[in-house]
Amino acid sequence: MKRTTLAAIALAVTAGLGLTGCAGAAGPAETGNQNGKTKLTVSVWNYEGTPEFKALFDGYEAANPNVDIEPVDILADDYPQKVTTMLAGGDTTDVLTMKNVIDYARYANNGQLQEINSVVDSVGKDNLASLDAFDMNGKYFAAPYRQDFWLLYYNKDLFKAAGIDDPKDLTWEKYSEIAKKLTSTADGKKVYGTYHHIWRSVVQAIAAAQNGGDQISGEYGFFEDQYNTALDLQKSGATLDFGTAKSQKTSYRTMFETGQAAMMPMGTWYIAGILQAKKDGKTNVNWGLAPLPQKDSSGKVSTFGSPTAFAVNKNAAHSEEAKKFIEWAAGEEGAKTISKIGVVPALQNDAVTAEYFKLDGLPTDALSKKAFTPDETALEMPVSDKSAATDKILNQEHDLVMVGERSVTDGIAEMGKRVKDEVLK
Amino acid sequence: MTTQTITQAPVPERTAPHSRGNRKQARRNALIGWTFILPNFLGFLAFTLIPVLAAFALSFMEWTSFSAPKWVGLKNFERMIASDSFWVALRNTVVYALGHVPLTMALALVLAMLLNRKLKGIGFFRVAIFFPYITSLVAVAVVWNMLFSPDSGPVNQFLHGIGIAEAPGWTSSSDWALPAVIITSVWRDMGYYMVLYLAGLQAIPTELYEAAEVDGASAWQRFWNVTLPSLRPTTFFVVVMLTVSSFKVFDLIVVMTNGGPGRSTTVLSQLIYQEGIGEGKFGYSSAISLVLFLIVLTVTVLQFKIQQRRER
Amino acid sequence: MTNMAEDLKAEARSVGTNLEAAPEGRRLPNRPSRSNRSTREQKARTTNVLIYGVLVVLVAALMVPFIWMLSSSLKENNQVLTVPIQWIPTEFVWSNYTDIWSRIPMLGYLQNSLYLSVIITVLQVLTGSLAAYGFSKVRFPGRDVLFLGYIGTIAVPWQAYMVPQYIMMQQLGLTNSFNALILLQAFGAFGVFLMRQYYMTIPDELCEAARIDGLSEYGIWARIILPLSKPALASLALLTFVNTWNDYMGPFIYLTSNRLWTVQLGLRSFVGQFDAEYAMIMTGSVISVVPILIIFLLGQRYFIQGIATSGMKG
Repeated sequence: MKRTTLAAIALAVTAGLGLTGCAGAAGPAETGNQNGKTKLTVSVWNYEGTPEFKALFDGYEAANPNVDIEPVDILADDYPQKVTTMLAGGDTTDVLTMKNVIDYARYANNGQLQEINSVVDSVGKDNLASLDAFDMNGKYFAAPYRQDFWLLYYNKDLFKAAGIDDPKDLTWEKYSEIAKKLTSTADGKKVYGTYHHIWRSVVQAIAAAQNGGDQISGEYGFFEDQYNTALDLQKSGATLDFGTAKSQKTSYRTMFETGQAAMMPMGTWYIAGILQAKKDGKTNVNWGLAPLPQKDSSGKVSTFGSPTAFAVNKNAAHSEEAKKFIEWAAGEEGAKTISKIGVVPALQNDAVTAEYFKLDGLPTDALSKKAFTPDETALEMPVSDKSAATDKILNQEHDLVMVGERSVTDGIAEMGKRVKDEVLK
Repeated sequence: MTTQTITQAPVPERTAPHSRGNRKQARRNALIGWTFILPNFLGFLAFTLIPVLAAFALSFMEWTSFSAPKWVGLKNFERMIASDSFWVALRNTVVYALGHVPLTMALALVLAMLLNRKLKGIGFFRVAIFFPYITSLVAVAVVWNMLFSPDSGPVNQFLHGIGIAEAPGWTSSSDWALPAVIITSVWRDMGYYMVLYLAGLQAIPTELYEAAEVDGASAWQRFWNVTLPSLRPTTFFVVVMLTVSSFKVFDLIVVMTNGGPGRSTTVLSQLIYQEGIGEGKFGYSSAISLVLFLIVLTVTVLQFKIQQRRER
Repeated sequence: MTNMAEDLKAEARSVGTNLEAAPEGRRLPNRPSRSNRSTREQKARTTNVLIYGVLVVLVAALMVPFIWMLSSSLKENNQVLTVPIQWIPTEFVWSNYTDIWSRIPMLGYLQNSLYLSVIITVLQVLTGSLAAYGFSKVRFPGRDVLFLGYIGTIAVPWQAYMVPQYIMMQQLGLTNSFNALILLQAFGAFGVFLMRQYYMTIPDELCEAARIDGLSEYGIWARIILPLSKPALASLALLTFVNTWNDYMGPFIYLTSNRLWTVQLGLRSFVGQFDAEYAMIMTGSVISVVPILIIFLLGQRYFIQGIATSGMKG
């Protein structure tokens, strides 16, 4: 029968293709343990799209010709899931990259990581930003090499067109005021004064950092002002409303790069992204950096940030080599290497900052430089075994306040109640 | 009624072991049965059943996945019963299933009947109806959220048009997010189940329809007295698979609302994921999945019994 | 091979003849009788027009998100998720479709996906249809309980037993290989269940008659039941193929080396920690739909053969 023949042929062809596919193989083949080099494996996310890893590995290999670093490439979206599963299976990857401090707390508390106090000591405890986050009763199980913190991106052209001065020493009040002024509709295209991404940190972590609040305390009165500011902006139309941003999966990059938002509080990771976009001609936004708006106009800048760190797996095949790598990556050499591609290193001293501002395309005005040296950088979320559960609740309640289903006071009360009931009890 | 009599009369299965003194025959049957089942069963046992049983055992333990599990008895279940989040997720899951199962089933059947004919370009239409299932979830979420947009979305504009002043807020509202998700998921899944119904329709002997027509049965009577009864095994499959997939729903919700606003669309499998992978409480997450398993099993056994009685 | 299938079908028919006269070939419902053909035909034509109308509207409604996907695949990354939604790209970026092959090893990923999908589908169809025969046409003690157990496990979310399963596979040394996935997914309960339900609709008299003719149970399965269940086999193959092709979590957990990755993993590699290249993702998604379409168009032919299970009547 004809149809059957056709199907059979199709099947045979596809199977044949598939089989060659197996042999043909995508991507580079695994490098064996050649010419007596030590093969160090490092778990990373999105290797192609996260140039800092390649920069670090190339740099280290150049400095240590006897080591071959092999990235274990894991998709960024579900990185913790894969790492957890692999470790449960007794995986021997040497270096584990800690995507955030909450995961770090879980791995460290469960004895999955090796203590690396010696590494931290030799890099210098005073120089590493956010090192406190990794302190587990005097023991360190990871060393941060990268530290992102939040600042304000702004569109210089839109500011100029509206006749507004650069956003220097902003208070939240002043910020709201100019955001409303910058909002306009031109040729049927709406330009928002600012864009607040949907992450709860935009409200909650800022409030915690600038009020000295503790996000796992179960008492959230300190969120109130920040919520009022955010909701007021949303109501006045000076920022895209939360419901739309969330359901349309609005990209903050789109908002800023297409000139749809004149300002945007965002993390320093975006610097590398926007530099690249400009270089590739994907955007022509004339951008600048400013410190995050503050509670008062004293000039003192508080912001929040989150570190990224390297740790040594308990089951590592090459523990000593792994520690050496971390010492290099978290130290000055590593810091300079990632500075060159626009990533903010955890190690901060004048030499490193100078290296950073050599970056091509980075705005070099005084305000941008000031934005880069905040007086105080709080941790985005405190580290404890309660962090993950608290984070989940705060996220859910943040949603409800932002879409207007709960008033600010009710929302804050509910957050406190739920965190106390479900987490702290 | 004549049309009644022509419904496929089920015939008792042969080789019944009841025939007295035929122990040998029964043993032979068991042997034959098992040889058929074995190739699949071995793989199933080794790679699915054993891990599943291990997970069930874990529900009585505390396990972070990094160290040896510790026996804690019923503690996980006690915690679960006391947890507000569990009940919210259970409620959402049940509501989702109650909406998703009947709607998808009905629409899939209608579509299958519509497409079970010789028409020019029928292949194209069948593929088109399968399209939602193979469209990227992100695209599905973005477009449906746009359609559901409270102020400017086409859905609400239509509702305004037909005179409904207070149109719902859909995915930005706690009350309406779940219905919005259900509608989207029905839209997405109906093509998938249509394929199953299409296969099932091929098994109905055409003689049944002819006989019914001779008897002067109307189209509706033919559907009711021939099509539906003949599709019973397919329907059982579809109902069970739909129930299972409703109770396990995960991807669509994560992409479309991520459980929000608040907890209004959080479902059990999300809870299982968050507690297990997210927080390293694998014992607790196993306990939740054991409950989920028992619920679905109950529904399935009930369906199975009903189906068997009908066949008798 | 084809001739054999034809023979088997003929055989199935002749078995049917034992019980009652076989119908002359396939029939369609509502076959017009000669006497009032013209009015019937006219009526059929209006129905057809009506059906076409309904179908066209339906298809339009179903394709909207796919059209968005297509349109997004022709945009720059930062033009995809705009507010309000933009249906027609301001500038058509056709180069996405050429760039993607060099940005990621797309061809290799496609081959990997194809390899996995084909092998898993073949195994699933084969073992599933075998086991289904045992569950539907052979009666032995404990059969139904075992069957319910089978179905029950489908209900357990994979997130729940993923880690124990991974540990087991790791100890067997099977992780980071195609074999792991094949073993995990080829023996699912889905195929068994689907095929069993279809076999239930095949009258037992057919098997009975074949037994009298001296066929063994294996012979009945191969020569009577299988040829009769083409529509079910087609739908099982199709759905298994699609599910394997679109599976993300399984390959994500079990395939670590980049050279083993499937299309779905490749596409997700455009998602970064803080943002994603949506235009590229949509481009890849459009490409990855093509093989499914081909399989579907091939498979759906089996849904119109009208293989009546001949000669059965109450």
